[in-house]
Amino acid sequence: MENILKMRNIRRHYVMPSGTVKALDGIDLEVREGERIILLGPSGSGKTTLLNCLSALDSPTSGSYSFSGSLVPSNDSEKMTKFRRENIGYVFQFFNLLQDLTVLENLLLIQELSGSRDEERARELLGLVGLANEIHRFPAEISGGQQQRVAIARSLAKTPRLLLGDELTGNLDSKTSTAVMEVLVKACEAEGITCVFVTHDESLVEFATRVIRIDSGKILSDENVE
Amino acid sequence: MLVLLTKRLARSLLRTKLRLVAVSAMVMVAVFAGISFAAYAHTVSGMYEEIYEDTDKGVNLPDVWVENPSGIWDADTSNSLCEEISVEWPDSTLVLNDCEPRLRLDGTMFLHEMHDGIESEKIVPAVWHGIDEGRIDRVWIPNHDCCSGRLASTDSEIVIDQRVASGMRVGLGDNISIGAGSGRMSFTVVGIGFQSNHLYFGQEGSLFPAEPGTFATGYLSSSGLERLANLTPGSSNIILIDVLGDPDYDIPSTDENEGTELTSLVSSIDETISNIEENPTLVYDRSQVFSVEILRADAEGAMMFYVPITGMIAAIAGITIFLSLQRLVQSQSREIAILRTLGIPRYAIMPAYFLMPLAIGVIGGSLGVILAVTLGVPGMLDFYEEILGIPILEATDIFPLAIQIISVTILVVMASGVFPAIQASRLQPLEIMRGQHEIRISSRRIQALTSRLPATVGLTVRSSIRKPTRLVFTFLAVGLSMLLFGSTLLMMSTMEEITVGSIEENQNWDVQANVPLGGEGEVIEWVDEKGAEYEKLLIFPANPVNDSRVISAYGVEEISTGSDSMIVIDLRTGSIPESGKQTSEVLIDEGLSHFLGWGVGDTRTLVFGSELKSVEIVGITQGELSRTVYFHRSDLADVIGIEATSVLIDLPDGVETDSKLGEISVGLTEKDDLISSYESIIEQQQSFLGAILFLGIIIAIVVLFNTLLMNLSERDKEIATLRVLGAPIKRLGWMMFGEHLVIGLIGGILAFLFTLAGTQAMISSIVQWSFFMTVTVDPIVAAQLIGVVVVTSVALTPYGMWRISRMDLVEKVKDLSQ
Repeated sequence: MENILKMRNIRRHYVMPSGTVKALDGIDLEVREGERIILLGPSGSGKTTLLNCLSALDSPTSGSYSFSGSLVPSNDSEKMTKFRRENIGYVFQFFNLLQDLTVLENLLLIQELSGSRDEERARELLGLVGLANEIHRFPAEISGGQQQRVAIARSLAKTPRLLLGDELTGNLDSKTSTAVMEVLVKACEAEGITCVFVTHDESLVEFATRVIRIDSGKILSDENVE
Repeated sequence: MLVLLTKRLARSLLRTKLRLVAVSAMVMVAVFAGISFAAYAHTVSGMYEEIYEDTDKGVNLPDVWVENPSGIWDADTSNSLCEEISVEWPDSTLVLNDCEPRLRLDGTMFLHEMHDGIESEKIVPAVWHGIDEGRIDRVWIPNHDCCSGRLASTDSEIVIDQRVASGMRVGLGDNISIGAGSGRMSFTVVGIGFQSNHLYFGQEGSLFPAEPGTFATGYLSSSGLERLANLTPGSSNIILIDVLGDPDYDIPSTDENEGTELTSLVSSIDETISNIEENPTLVYDRSQVFSVEILRADAEGAMMFYVPITGMIAAIAGITIFLSLQRLVQSQSREIAILRTLGIPRYAIMPAYFLMPLAIGVIGGSLGVILAVTLGVPGMLDFYEEILGIPILEATDIFPLAIQIISVTILVVMASGVFPAIQASRLQPLEIMRGQHEIRISSRRIQALTSRLPATVGLTVRSSIRKPTRLVFTFLAVGLSMLLFGSTLLMMSTMEEITVGSIEENQNWDVQANVPLGGEGEVIEWVDEKGAEYEKLLIFPANPVNDSRVISAYGVEEISTGSDSMIVIDLRTGSIPESGKQTSEVLIDEGLSHFLGWGVGDTRTLVFGSELKSVEIVGITQGELSRTVYFHRSDLADVIGIEATSVLIDLPDGVETDSKLGEISVGLTEKDDLISSYESIIEQQQSFLGAILFLGIIIAIVVLFNTLLMNLSERDKEIATLRVLGAPIKRLGWMMFGEHLVIGLIGGILAFLFTLAGTQAMISSIVQWSFFMTVTVDPIVAAQLIGVVVVTSVALTPYGMWRISRMDLVEKVKDLSQ
């Protein structure tokens, strides 16, 4: 498998009144296409900051980050947005679906904002996550697990190359979490999408191909689990 | 605990300083406007009554007028009329105090002007009164800087109206040249004052006061006016009747008759006069005297509107505070839930939400009182003096008015805290902790309506109406602010249309020369000499049967809706009358139709003095301020025996009016003067109205911005989600633009409808027999009103985009994932 992204000596430091916080302190990371990586670590370990840098929501203080062989833009809001639009899917802990839109429309909105509406694909994705019968419901009319599956389908709607998730099952019970992760794995495998998830939940390791443990802004361990 | 909770709420509110300043300013404006209008209303209405009073200080306004519009009574007839009225006085609680014959004539004033070093003579239409010392309706020369001198005592002296003195720069001791259809004479000015018929200084029926130099009135001795008009001593054309005390009279703006005794007295005198006088006469009370009535209506209007105006501005402030507090409750719901979980009782949460509006009301109200006392009231009264030229001798006591206004305002503003306080006290801690209070299901109907649209457009529409309560209250507040201030714009455009527009479009003459009885021949000779064209016009007063209200019967040479005649009729419905019918065919104005319920096809009877005339109504016209019936001139002349009261003249290029025309006529009205007079007064009022309009727009902007800013801040999570998922700012900007456009359009249209309804209601409440109008919807005004709201709404888009561009997505993602 080819590398989809490469990070070299990534640092993200925050200057605070109490001193400089080293959220990321020299991260080296290579991710191959199709991998499903789980980032584990305690609170404040730097895993969310790493996810933010991977998604180009945040710019590293130093170091280099390339995606598909090209440098990822930093410190330029619009270029970073464009990078996200073209490459990244994102799933949040609290789903953050638009309450005024139906399940299907939530997917169509993202496609329209990305410049290409494709209703057939949206329906297909909702079928893939098992929500073919719920497409005309509003988010408030379906369960939390179903909402998270809509969020997954939404993140896949514009065919991203890298799917990121921050505590995406943190708001669900264990049974629903398992169901959501199964759907996610199935969808990502079907679409050939690389995934990186941040979690506290060690039980999700079973859905990963690689587990990276992180603390104090450094990678403590990096192992393949398949 | 209460102090701590209030302090907490105060700190939260203080974080939105701009909003706090805006709502306090609105309260300030409400109190400022309320006190200023109230002071004006109370000052002027009290003042008019003092001027009219039957005391040494007052002028003793007559209670009944008997007028001879078609001729002059000689001394014997004048005295016998008074004697007959006294003898035939009905059995009534009203007791005759005095009866005085008077002479009042239309005429001209010859005014010398210098333009670029060249002296010219301007002929100004005028009304001259023969008033000796006078027991009734005296000349008013108040002890004020405006006025000075004494009454005219010889036949070469004159007292001129204060507006003539200031407008034409005439002073005591000056000689002025005047005429009344029999040449010209010079009179020495011995006094400067006012007279009740011209306290409102404008030509009869004009909604606007006359521009300086375009109208004159003067008060000569009886012998002076007789000399000027070449009449015998003791001549008169008006009988003034004074009743002991101040009898109630029928106020035209109310449905009931407050002066039944006086109405029956008027009928009785009318009958007495008809039995002994062949000439048509008019008998009426003060409600039919234009100056008296228009000033009363103005004061009544101000009196009627100042509380609603204050209430409405306070309500706008209240709505803004209400929406802000509601938003605060929403944003503080977790905090409130924690307090409730810790055992704070419901009632302890509530007082803070009452105290904050109270504090805003007190601060804004106090500032409003200071501004009103120092600027508003003096400014308003100065403006009144400047426009009407009537001196204010004593302003009303502001203190009780200030108490009244500030109480109304604080009450309205405090009411805004009630619902948020109840809402805050009813929050369920468990629901809030679970986040259930934020969950709501969008409207299925709206979803169905917009389901075929692109998702971006659907979201735009649905976001616009996401908070219907907030939106409805916002539209209500915007509607109210536009109602208050847009109605000013609509009223102005209506008045401009009725005055300037109607003269420019419907009057195809250059000069109207009023002629003495049988004097049209001389004027026509002058017209022929100058190669001009003319049309004879006959205007004569009439009444409906058993009704003393006056109708102007117009005898027009050629009744036409085209531009080929000198007076163009604006026919609303029906057809053009034919002349020479057994039952004369006539047109009536829409005001007459409104007040009397007369319609096309009806046959009605008009009374010309003692002469009854049946007429058939064949059409209804629009645009007339006073009540009008249009006859063919020949038909009307047959009824009253007069050929013409004026001659309309269309002058060829290069020909102007001259002294000769001035001397043979009893008043010349030039169309250009009339237009410039109206334009000037409209312009004069423009800055004042512009300020009101500006204020309205600012308030509408504040209200709309407040809501849209709340909408924007509530959508942070949604926008952040879309931004993280890669939505470009430009696309989000377009969505926001669409949302603001939708809100602006709905708000603008509603605001316009509010304005239209409000203006219509306002006009309906002030129109009466003497002046009737309907709202003219000028598309430009409609576009302006809607445009203001749309532009205000859309103007927030760049701010919203700027806010999105500054959004810290890293922080937002933390919120979204925690």
